[in-house]
Amino acid sequence: MLADGSPREGRVLRRNIDARLIVAGRSARRGLAAAIALGFAAGLLVIAQAALLAGVVTALVFRHATVAEVTPAFAALAALFAVRALFTWASEIAAFRAAGSVKADLRRALLDHLFRLGPAFAAGEKSADLAATAIEGVEALEPYLARYLPQLALVALVPLAILAAIFPVDWMSGLVLLFAAPIIPLFMIFVGSRAEAINRRQWRRLLRMSAHFLDAVQGIATLKLFGRAREEIALVARISDQYRRTTMAGLRVAFLTSAVLEFFASLGIALVAVLFGVRLLHGALGFFPAFFVLLLVPEFFLPLRGLATHYHARMSALAAAARIFDILDARPGQPAGRTKPPPGPVSITCRGLSLATAEGRSVLHHIDCVFPAGKMTAVVGRSGAGKSTLAAAILGFLPLRSGAILVDGATPLAALDREAWWRQLAYVPQAPRLFAGTIADNLRLARREATDEALYAALFRARLLDVIQRLPEGLSTRIGEGGAGLSGGEAQRLALARAFLKDAPILILDEATAHLDLETESEIVEAISDLAQNRTAIVIAHRLKTVRRADQILVLAEGQIAESGTHETLRARGGAYAALFGAGISVAERSCAT
Amino acid sequence: MRDLMRILRLYGPYRSWLLGGIVLALLTILANFGLLALAGWFLASAGIAGLSSYAAQNAFNFFAPSAGVRFFATLRVLCRYLGRLVDHEATFRQLAGLRSFIYARLEPLAPAGLAGDRSGDLLGRLVADVDRLGEFHLRVFTPFLAALFASLAMALLFAALAPPAGLALLFGLALAGLAVPLATLALGDRPSRHAVALRAAMRADVVDAVQGMAELLTYGAAPAFAERIDGANATLIAEERRLAGIAGFGAAATLLIAGLTMAAMLLLGDALVLSHRLSGPDLPLLALGALAAFEAVGPLPQAFQHLGGMRAAARRIFEILDRPPPIAEPTRSPRRPARLDLALRGVRLRYSELGPWALDGLDLAIGEGERIAIVGRSGAGKTSLVNLVLRFAPYQAGSATIGGVELSAIRGDDMRSLFTVVSQKSYLFAGSIRDNLLIAKPDAGEQALWRALETAELADFVRTLPEGLESLVGEAGTRLSGGEARRLVLARAALRSSPFLILDEPTEGLDPLTEAALRADLDHLAGGRTQILITHRLAGIAEDDRVVLIEAGRVAEDGRYGDLRRQGRTLPRLAALEAALARL
Repeated sequence: MLADGSPREGRVLRRNIDARLIVAGRSARRGLAAAIALGFAAGLLVIAQAALLAGVVTALVFRHATVAEVTPAFAALAALFAVRALFTWASEIAAFRAAGSVKADLRRALLDHLFRLGPAFAAGEKSADLAATAIEGVEALEPYLARYLPQLALVALVPLAILAAIFPVDWMSGLVLLFAAPIIPLFMIFVGSRAEAINRRQWRRLLRMSAHFLDAVQGIATLKLFGRAREEIALVARISDQYRRTTMAGLRVAFLTSAVLEFFASLGIALVAVLFGVRLLHGALGFFPAFFVLLLVPEFFLPLRGLATHYHARMSALAAAARIFDILDARPGQPAGRTKPPPGPVSITCRGLSLATAEGRSVLHHIDCVFPAGKMTAVVGRSGAGKSTLAAAILGFLPLRSGAILVDGATPLAALDREAWWRQLAYVPQAPRLFAGTIADNLRLARREATDEALYAALFRARLLDVIQRLPEGLSTRIGEGGAGLSGGEAQRLALARAFLKDAPILILDEATAHLDLETESEIVEAISDLAQNRTAIVIAHRLKTVRRADQILVLAEGQIAESGTHETLRARGGAYAALFGAGISVAERSCAT
Repeated sequence: MRDLMRILRLYGPYRSWLLGGIVLALLTILANFGLLALAGWFLASAGIAGLSSYAAQNAFNFFAPSAGVRFFATLRVLCRYLGRLVDHEATFRQLAGLRSFIYARLEPLAPAGLAGDRSGDLLGRLVADVDRLGEFHLRVFTPFLAALFASLAMALLFAALAPPAGLALLFGLALAGLAVPLATLALGDRPSRHAVALRAAMRADVVDAVQGMAELLTYGAAPAFAERIDGANATLIAEERRLAGIAGFGAAATLLIAGLTMAAMLLLGDALVLSHRLSGPDLPLLALGALAAFEAVGPLPQAFQHLGGMRAAARRIFEILDRPPPIAEPTRSPRRPARLDLALRGVRLRYSELGPWALDGLDLAIGEGERIAIVGRSGAGKTSLVNLVLRFAPYQAGSATIGGVELSAIRGDDMRSLFTVVSQKSYLFAGSIRDNLLIAKPDAGEQALWRALETAELADFVRTLPEGLESLVGEAGTRLSGGEARRLVLARAALRSSPFLILDEPTEGLDPLTEAALRADLDHLAGGRTQILITHRLAGIAEDDRVVLIEAGRVAEDGRYGDLRRQGRTLPRLAALEAALARL
């Protein structure tokens, strides 16, 4: 799904990341313009400040001026400092303004897009990686937008202004600076390609480290059971250390770059100072120009050095942005339209439906079947036959390879407004997810405005009411992620209660009665049959007692419909269905034989 | 403050690196100070000499100061480069160590001690909060100490020239290096702490969103969830904007104080020159030196405004480190007993002080090599029994022994090494099929892996995969079908030989044909081991097997299945129910 472009296209995309970031930063334009204007104004103020300061010092040292004589200059100097301070303050705010809106927009776009891509995309990804991309990845764009981009403009403007101020005063130092300056960008281009590769690697390592840690945290109990926790600790240490190594490799390049640039800059300063020293000593030059230029030389190199520093930020941002745009470029599994689905329990028709997994493994081939309106259809078959995949396709999570899914016999699923479609149905997946929070929170996921009474009614239907009422805090009892604090059967029933609460005309249950004890299971089967009255229900199950109540049974085998019919007709036929449940019966019957 | 001291203590092994970093930072500041002060003095002296007689020009030592300028310039570049390397190397080494240290402390807490935590939040502590702790050293500790010593040294140097100049410089530096950072600290405390909390919540939410995507979408909860994340996003950006404003204030204040200090220095210096207590060239020395001195304190305001966030991150980490493990572990286990008979007498267990009793006076004896089936309604205490013997939860009353040794005297790891467990909670890691199998037995050969897959009826499936054993299973096994995932868990268990085998609903979620095939394999898998089968289904339990029925945390019935089915209180009803359901 990710690879909807060829590798070549991928490269082109990557090369355009700078451009795409700048496009994404369109909302940042005003902030950027303000940051550049303020930076440039600050640069001009520095020139004025150098002139004032050089004037004051010259007057004091060489003309032995009294304090009164230089008071106006001092006042001007103080005012200058105050204005510069204000500009600095404003430029910080402007720089953030440039980055803040882009960060907010991109992060929102990223999360919205994740939801649009749906569970099929999520299954191929690692959630920690996606979280790190949304948080640290977006964060990494800030220095690029707020520092690097303004600096890119300033590096052209400020040194030129300073040169323009220096040349009339002393052309010789002007020439020195003119020749020293280009060394810096040249050097950066030289370092650039290496830095880019390192940053890309560092970013990958961060994502991998995050993904590994989440896996290690979620599977920590299993690791303990296998006595592998010690090895995992060592592995965590090793992965952290690899991350350190790549981070340091990137930083070493960045530090060395700045050191070399700083060296060039101080070489420039020293050269200018020595040239002045000689000429001053021989009286060939006054103190004022010398001091004035000397004050300005570091300022001349400052934007260039800043650019070098933020060049690292750019590399880091590009690596992060590549991942962000990769996600944003992924296409959702099934297209969605705007047609509203017909209300009520509609029929669902699969016509010549073929499906493949994200890795291209074919799962369903040319399925033709109808889930009649208002009836319960059971889907059975051996594990891996494609039952859950079929459900995912009906939910609109998976792209179809060929064929179509028709709602109410006519409207293709692809034309439906996806959210409106989901509003019509209640779905309990094979491994339902319970979120950390209260029991009420977990239930209200299905209906935000549901009253406590409605929650109790749903819990009652799911045979969970007594359990919840026995808890001291009732509905407000906090449960952990994945239902920690509840038994496996209780967690399963809570997931069912959520579906009952939704009260939707279409019901899709994927092994919803797994992990239940016999008595609860038979009660829940009753509850589901009651609920399924006048609803289009698709029930994936392995247990005969659930299956046999269905109006229609579809037997999936190796991605195709092997048989369909009612329990009686299928059993009489003696085909795949009879084989499947014959085995189940014989196990049960053997044990009851005595 | 205590939290920050505690961060520093974590740096123990890197003490000499820390010291080196501070010395190098100090030298960098002093070199810059020396460079600018000397350059100013040198130019003015040369200018004065140039105005004087030819003799004075000749007497002027041109080379020593210019060599000094070059020396300081080189020293500065070198120290800065080395200082950054040393500081970052020390920090990242420390952070890498801290990550595995935290994970090592998580391990004894799991699973009971972490049940209330969102895994995305724990992840945030391991990744983002640890990174933030590194900033304390890089941005606060080293720069502050270097600035402190450098400020004193520079003020002393000025004082040696003229005591009032030294005092004025010290005052200016204290203002910019203490007062302003304290102000940004106070201003930034709340937003930076809030930002840490927001990022943590956002990470946990994104993890939840990705892992619970199907439910969120189909329940129509996705927009609300997205709104929540987006709300956090907007608040975070607002807090960051506030912090940017504070950073601007800090930078502006430092700039202003530096400028005013320099101006004051000129005025002061001029008075001293006029009263002949200083020479002319000392004036630019004071001015430029003062300007350079502020390089020492420049980064402090921005660093201090994030201190609140660093402290919040530290607290989040220390909160885990300080959590008492849910179960007290002895340091050493007694020698492994000759016979591994389990005996539980009057055991009571609950997960919180006020919670209901999950096991409430349970009596159960399981002899070595025995096969028992445990049945009971969900919530009856079957899983708690497993948690008890695996030492995942402590028991509060009664006695539980293995081979006569009380469980509380045995280290959890040693106890768990006796068991192989297959349960709903068995986790598949995001690696390949091979990776997941090797968890059970890292040195297992190719043949052993395939044999395990055969046992779990999964070998044929793996053979059809183009990448075979190297196929990736996805996060938590999401790329496999439910039945395939289940069988991979079984295959993994088959690789491990241990005296006990606990099968908690091993065939749940499997179709009847696979289930029937597996039952035979499971018997083979159990071999002569003690086998505890937890099940909801009586089908497959042989007449002579021992069955234990648990109700409300207590053993309600215990005996041969055949006998109980005829004479028990509850079991006959269950058996009839199941038979009726199956025959329908």
